[in-house]
Amino acid sequence: MIAARELRLMAGSKMLLDDVTLYVPAGEFTAVLGPNGAGKTTLLRTLAGIRSAESGVVEIDGVNVRAMHAARRARAVAYVASDEIFLEQLTVRDVVSTGRYAHHRWWDWREEPRDRDAVDGALAAVGMQGFSERAFATLSSGERQRIWIALALAQESRFVLLDEPTSHLDVRIAQEILAVLRSQVHAGKGVVCVLHDINEAAEFADRIAVLGRGALLAQGNTQDVLSGAALEDAYGVSMERTRSSRGRLRVFPASNSSEPTPR
Amino acid sequence: MSARLAGLLLLTLAALGGSLLVGGTWLSPASVVSALLHPRADEVATIVWQLRLPRVVIGAIVGASLGIAGALLQGMLRNPLVDPFLTGVSAGAAVAIVAGMAIGVSSAAVPALGFCSGTATAIVVAALARRGAGLDPTRLILAGVSISSLCSSIIALILTHLQSSDAAPSIVGWLAGSLSGRGWNELAFCAPYLCAGVLLAAAAVPALNALRLGDVRAASSGLDVARAQWIILGSTSLLTACSVTLAGTVGFVGLIVPHVARRAAGSNARYALPASALLGAAVTVAADAACRSIAAPTEIPLGVLLAFAGVPAFLYLYLRGSRPVTA
Repeated sequence: MIAARELRLMAGSKMLLDDVTLYVPAGEFTAVLGPNGAGKTTLLRTLAGIRSAESGVVEIDGVNVRAMHAARRARAVAYVASDEIFLEQLTVRDVVSTGRYAHHRWWDWREEPRDRDAVDGALAAVGMQGFSERAFATLSSGERQRIWIALALAQESRFVLLDEPTSHLDVRIAQEILAVLRSQVHAGKGVVCVLHDINEAAEFADRIAVLGRGALLAQGNTQDVLSGAALEDAYGVSMERTRSSRGRLRVFPASNSSEPTPR
Repeated sequence: MSARLAGLLLLTLAALGGSLLVGGTWLSPASVVSALLHPRADEVATIVWQLRLPRVVIGAIVGASLGIAGALLQGMLRNPLVDPFLTGVSAGAAVAIVAGMAIGVSSAAVPALGFCSGTATAIVVAALARRGAGLDPTRLILAGVSISSLCSSIIALILTHLQSSDAAPSIVGWLAGSLSGRGWNELAFCAPYLCAGVLLAAAAVPALNALRLGDVRAASSGLDVARAQWIILGSTSLLTACSVTLAGTVGFVGLIVPHVARRAAGSNARYALPASALLGAAVTVAADAACRSIAAPTEIPLGVLLAFAGVPAFLYLYLRGSRPVTA
């Protein structure tokens, strides 16, 4: 389990989040929702141990993530960033192989059979097994996102944290990406995913955390959080709730929501 | 990929061999091989063993060092326009050597003077670029450019006051880069630092591959980014300081060679670093042979010839419609 206690996160002198206590169980899909600038990316990087909190502590299975050696931390938690990057002349295998760094001594550049197996397995898990020698730069946005996820899977960490993995993707590709992540949850990994589409969270997440107004406004199982007032509180708009034909809760901004909800 | 590295190795060996043949006096391959196998006190053996071989070996080491240093720094900063002199090593070494020559320091002390000043300047640049436990790439570039500019101004000031001095021509020659007059003593002085630089570069290969994806993704993959940055900067500084000590300011090799090497061998540092070393050695040795031969017995400065060849090569990489390969 990832346990974050009493986190205070700042961007320069600006307070992003204060007094955040959040639990992420293994084997569950946790979605993080909140408006732009709420501190979702900063929280995710803090949970991954890539940045330190201004105060508070993050523990993975009882060990302070910032006290872990970088390689040990990478074997516990993988982070998939949201920013695009231009990688000329790198093949898909070059990119995914980077996930094996934490399984070697820092100066060791030999690729072993278990590394090849892990890379092949990760590519198969995201449905990209035929792309191993393709140039990364020639892939579509959806394919690139799959490769970033494959990199995280090749790390063989217990938790995978993803920052907006479905942004800029069409509906079908987004659903496929989330299905891949869901399959990793079934395989026992803990998945934390920053999402902008509330209904993607409703469809795929076991738990939801809502950030807004400098705090963690709600966390809990998906149906409970979506039924409560945290979304209106976070986004400042009224929400309408309906049920899909399969009984799933669906949440949409109310049509008369041009007026912000009074806080 | 191994075949391409083997091809570069053959190219380098051809450049080394060919460079022993040409110069003020043309030597036949048979006479060079004979002189190498049977060192005698004749004129050919003297030319080969005392003049050309040390020069060819040092040229290869200088080129390989600059190629590796350029590939390391371009990879770490993810910036294909960076060259090893960015660390301020060459400018720092140049100030000390020019000042030393101006006040009449013994020529035997010049290598040590240049090496110490170059590494000290690199430490100052690194200190200015430090952010937290690691290095800020933007600060590193700004600090390197600023310190190098300051050093260039000091050199210009010294040269202004030395226009009529006997030392001025040798100072200008050194600044333009040259392998003339270099021998085993200079190489012996640099050998330990060269070994340390190459070992650090080899150890940095996995880190360099992780850094291609950016600092955040590299850190997420388990890389201690700060440690990797210091190792790469340390290796770059040692290799550059040695090359400056041995040959003065030899430009363009550290900038151009890594681009061509990546095109030939790919971006994987496992292949790109050896390819940069081999190509750097081949280019430098071949250029030095041309410097000795084109206007013999007068020598063209190595740095000047490399700039004449390097600028068109650099422009070609851009104007042919494809950008230099990302580091």
